[in-house]
Amino acid sequence: MNPDSDILGMAREETTDCLERLERNLLALESGSAEPDAIDAMFRDAHSIKGTASMVGWKEVSSIADAMETRLEECRSQDAFRLELVDPLLRATDALRQTIAGDTGHGSSVIAELACEPPAAAAPPPAQKVGEPRPAPPVDPAPRPGADRAIRVSAEKVDRMLDAVGESVLHHRRLEHQLRNRALTEGDDVAEEELDMSERLLDELQDSVIEMRTLPLSSITSPYPRAVRDIAAAEGKQVELVITGAETQLDRVILEGISETITHLLRNAIAHGVESPRERERAGKPRVARLVLRAEQRGSMVAIELEDDGRGVSPELLARAKAEGSLTEVLAKPGFSTATEVSDLAGRGVGLDAVKSHVERLGGSLEVLSEPSRGTKVVLLLPLTLALLRVLLCERAGQPFGLPLASVREVVAVGDTTTLGGRRSLELRGETIPLGDLAAIMGASAAPLEAFAPAMILVSPARVVGITCDRVLGDQELVTKRLGPLLAGVPGYLGAAILGDGRVALILDPSHLTQRHSSSPSPSSRISEPENRTAPNVLVVDDQFTVRELQRSILETAGYHVETARDGREALERIARDSDIDMVLTDIQMPEMDGLELLAAIREHPEHAALPVVIVTSKGGDADRRLGAEMGADAYIVKDEFDQQALLETIDRLVGS
Amino acid sequence: MSSVHVRVRVAGEHYAVPVEGVLEVAELGDVTPVPGAPRSVLGVRNLRGQLITVVDLATLFGLEDDGPRGRIVVTEDGDRGAGLAVQSILDVTALPEPTEAAESEYLRGAVLADGELIGIVNLGVALDAVARERSPR
Repeated sequence: MNPDSDILGMAREETTDCLERLERNLLALESGSAEPDAIDAMFRDAHSIKGTASMVGWKEVSSIADAMETRLEECRSQDAFRLELVDPLLRATDALRQTIAGDTGHGSSVIAELACEPPAAAAPPPAQKVGEPRPAPPVDPAPRPGADRAIRVSAEKVDRMLDAVGESVLHHRRLEHQLRNRALTEGDDVAEEELDMSERLLDELQDSVIEMRTLPLSSITSPYPRAVRDIAAAEGKQVELVITGAETQLDRVILEGISETITHLLRNAIAHGVESPRERERAGKPRVARLVLRAEQRGSMVAIELEDDGRGVSPELLARAKAEGSLTEVLAKPGFSTATEVSDLAGRGVGLDAVKSHVERLGGSLEVLSEPSRGTKVVLLLPLTLALLRVLLCERAGQPFGLPLASVREVVAVGDTTTLGGRRSLELRGETIPLGDLAAIMGASAAPLEAFAPAMILVSPARVVGITCDRVLGDQELVTKRLGPLLAGVPGYLGAAILGDGRVALILDPSHLTQRHSSSPSPSSRISEPENRTAPNVLVVDDQFTVRELQRSILETAGYHVETARDGREALERIARDSDIDMVLTDIQMPEMDGLELLAAIREHPEHAALPVVIVTSKGGDADRRLGAEMGADAYIVKDEFDQQALLETIDRLVGS
Repeated sequence: MSSVHVRVRVAGEHYAVPVEGVLEVAELGDVTPVPGAPRSVLGVRNLRGQLITVVDLATLFGLEDDGPRGRIVVTEDGDRGAGLAVQSILDVTALPEPTEAAESEYLRGAVLADGELIGIVNLGVALDAVARERSPR
C-alpha cells in the first residue's frame, strides 16, 4: 500500500477526532456545561490540527486552524470565553471538515470572520493572515479513488478475532491428530490435502489478524525527512534527520496516536532546540544539526526517542527543574514554552503538555532529558498492549515460562560451578556469572534441578545473571497478553502467552530476574563446555540486539563461533584488532557507520580486502544491493524473508570447510 | 424484588453470584499457577484464547476445603474478569433480596431458600480483596 495514502488517511482521522472534540467543547461552553479546562482543550485541538496540516502540506487547513488558535489563545490567556465566538468557530470547524474532504475554498471567509470578531482585549487580530495569498496545496487532501477504501475497526474487535483464530488453530491441530489416528492410516490423500489447505489458510488468517494490530514505525515515518527539511528551511536552520529502529513493530492504535505527537516533537526540536547555523558554528558545533528518531522494544514497552544536538535547556531552567522535581514536570506544565518568539510552526506555548497528556492517555509515559548547550532528548515509553514478542521458552517444574529473546545473551549447559556465601556462580570464558534457579527466584515450588541443567544468560545494564531451568524449549514469536487487573500487582511478569498446545506460558520480566536472582541447590555435576576453537569465526554486525542474537543463535547452533558488533565502526575496530575473523555478516542501516561504508572500508584495507562480507538487505533494497555488488559484497540475505537454511548455506559456501 | 443468581457450592456451603456479573460457567480446566500471586489466586487459564484469572472462593472466604474444584463461574466486574473456582454449580435461580445480614465483607447478605442459608456474593468487594491481597512471599 502507498504509505502516503496511509499518512493522509491518518491525518484525516486525527483531524476529525480533534474537530469532534472541539465541537463538543464549543457546544458545552454555549450551554454552560463545559469542563473547567474546555478552553485549554479546544486550544490544544486547534494547535494539533494546525500541526498535522502543516506536516502533510494542507495549507488551507493550517491557516484556518491558525486563525482559530489565535482567538482561542486570547480566551485562554484571559481565562474567559465570549459566546460570540461560538458561531464563527463552529463555521470554521465546518470549513475544516469540508477542506479535508477535498472541498476547498472555504478558508478565506471563515478566517476573515474569525479575525473580524472584536478582539477580547489588547491582543490585535492577526491581520496578516487575512489577506495571505493561498497557493494550491501541494498535497491534494481529497481522498484518492481507492485510498479511502478503509474501514475503522475497534482494536477490541481485532483482539477478539485474534483469540478466535488462535483457538481455531488449536482445534485444527486436534482434528488433524484425530484424523491421522483413524482414516489417514489407510492413506486418504483427499483428507490429507484438505487438512494441509486448512492449515495454510489458518496460518494466513492468523498472520493477517496480527498484521491488523501491528505495523512498523516506518509506516508513519516516511513523511518526516521531507517535513524536517521544510520546517528547518522555514526556520533558517540546517537539520539532518536520522531514523533508526523504524522496523520496530507497534500496536496500530498506539502508532495512530503518536504520529501527531512525533510531528509535534520534531517541530519543537527544530524550532526550539536547534540553533541557527551561525550560532552552532560559534559554539563549535557542525552547522548541520543532527536529529535522531530512535525506536526500540524494551521488554513490554517500546521506547521512542527524539534526540537533538541543539542548545538544550538553560542552566537556570535545569536548576528550577531540580527544585521543582523533574525537568519533565516543569516543561510539561500547561502553557510552558522555551520559545521566546512565536514562529509559524510552533512555540505558541503548547508543547509538552499536549504530548504528555496524549502519551499518558495511551498508557505510556514521557521523559525529557536535557543538557545545556549539548541537546535535548525526549523519550516516549509506550506499552505494547498486543505485541508480538520473540521469546525463549523454557520449562521449570513442568510449567512453561517465556523470556524476551532480546534479554537472553546465550544458553549454556551448567558445568563447573563455584559457590561463595551460598551463591552459586558459573565461570564462562573468564567471566563469573551468578546463577539462580528460576523456581527459587519466582517463588515456585519445584524439585531440585538435575545435572546438566541449562542456564539462560541474561544481560541487563547492571549485571549478567544465569537463570537455570529444567529444559529450554526453543524460541517462538508469541502474542503476549496482560495478566489482567487482579494480577497487575504481582511483580516479575510482562504478561502471558498461549502456546500452540493451549498451555499458558508466563512471560518473565528479565529485570526482575536479574535483580532477584538467588542461590539454589546446585547440581553436583562437573562437566565443562566444549570450546570449539577451530570453528570459523563469524562477525555479526547489526544495531538491533534481537537480530544480532537471532543470527548468533542460528550460527552457533550450526557450529560457528560468533562475535557481534553494533555498527560498522565497532566491527572495523574488531577486525583491525586481531585478524581471526573469517567472515562478516552485516546489516546495511546502522548508526555511526553503515554496512556499505563498512564494506568499503574492508575492501580498501590491504590486509582484510579478501574477507568475505555478506550483506543483509531489506526487501526492496535493490539500490543497496546493486551498490553492494559494485563494492564487492560476496552475498546477500534478504531480511524480510530471513531463512535460516539460506543463511547457513551461504555462509557454508563462503567459509565452510 | 427477586433477581436471578447462579447458585454454587463452596466448601459444602451454598453461595450465589448475581447473574448480571456472570458471563458463563466452564470447567475448571488446566490452570497455570502464577508464582508470587495472591493466595486465593489458583492461576490463569486459557478459555478459548482469553486469559482468565482463576480465584478460589473457598480460600478467599477463609474456608477449609481440600476437595476438588470442579467448575468456574466466569465473571466480569467492569474491566476485571475472574473465574471463580467452586466445588460445583447447583442451579440458576431467582432469589429474593438478602434478608439476613452476613458477617463476611464479601457477602451482600444471605437468604434462606430450600432450607439452606445462601450467601449472596458481592463481586466487586470480593475482586477488590483479591487485587489488594499481597503475595505470599
